[in-house]
Amino acid sequence: MLALNIISKSLTSPATKSAVNLQILRWRRKPRWVPVAKSKQFRIPSRPVIIEDEQIELKRLFNNYRTQMKSIKRHIVERFVASRAITTDPKDIQRIFDEDFARCNKINDEWNADIKSQRIKYFENALEENVNVAKASLQKRKELDQIKLEEAERIVAEQKELSKTFITADNIDEAIEHALANPVDYNFAVDLDGNKFYHKKT
Amino acid sequence: MLSPASGTGRFYRKSAKIIRFARHGCANRPFFHIVVTERRRTQKMPVIEQLGTFDPLENEHNEKLVSLNLERIIYWMGCGAHISRPVDQLFGLSGLLPIHPTLYMTAWRNRKEIENQAKEENNESATKT
Repeated sequence: MLALNIISKSLTSPATKSAVNLQILRWRRKPRWVPVAKSKQFRIPSRPVIIEDEQIELKRLFNNYRTQMKSIKRHIVERFVASRAITTDPKDIQRIFDEDFARCNKINDEWNADIKSQRIKYFENALEENVNVAKASLQKRKELDQIKLEEAERIVAEQKELSKTFITADNIDEAIEHALANPVDYNFAVDLDGNKFYHKKT
Repeated sequence: MLSPASGTGRFYRKSAKIIRFARHGCANRPFFHIVVTERRRTQKMPVIEQLGTFDPLENEHNEKLVSLNLERIIYWMGCGAHISRPVDQLFGLSGLLPIHPTLYMTAWRNRKEIENQAKEENNESATKT
């Protein structure tokens, strides 16, 4: 049957119209039309030997087992049927509905109370955490400001120190005269010991 | 293709159901799902529902692991599902149902074999000395 299915599928499917992909499956060792082997033709398989005591014991056990299973199954089926019993009495329906509602409502209330306590705790923690974070950031900001101020003051002091040597409009003539009077010659060579050699022609 | 554990098998309400194994291992590695299907379905067809698993090869602690969804098993038994013999034996060992007589039989046969082996060994040692 399986082989037949595969054949019919492979023949009808558009992808494999040729029989190249056809693979015939066989459940038995032999094809159906091959007869029983000559050597096995008159073979009689040996029957299992069961001791009489064992057989009696097995019979007893099986009888017990079947009885027990029958009662257990019946019990389970009855319980199942009872659990699915449908009532048409409106009072009963209302009662079942109320009971179910009360049960669900109780569970819901429990969950709500639990979530409420969790929420209160969460918000308390969150507020505390936020305050702490704000305090920490404020402290950090103050420290940064202090550092910046110190840096600025240091730069200002440095510049003040330097400003004594600046050339301004007041002393520019003096500076020019000084520069003209003391020309600096950078045209020199240096040896490995650092000695300078000016205008030395070889 | 594997079907999900909840099962995709279609079934008629009044058709005969059965709780049985479906082999899901590969070559030389058996692994069984305990499933409920229509009785006439073949093993690889989609099942109505998977009710458990059974690993027949021992693990490192020399245990064969079984898992059962007892609630659903009871439900399907309540619906009148049949139970195949190997699964019956497994349920018996798990304590859900009474122990299957074939298990008692194999047990006493094994005991007897062990006794016989011990006797033979004793005899051999006696003849040697």
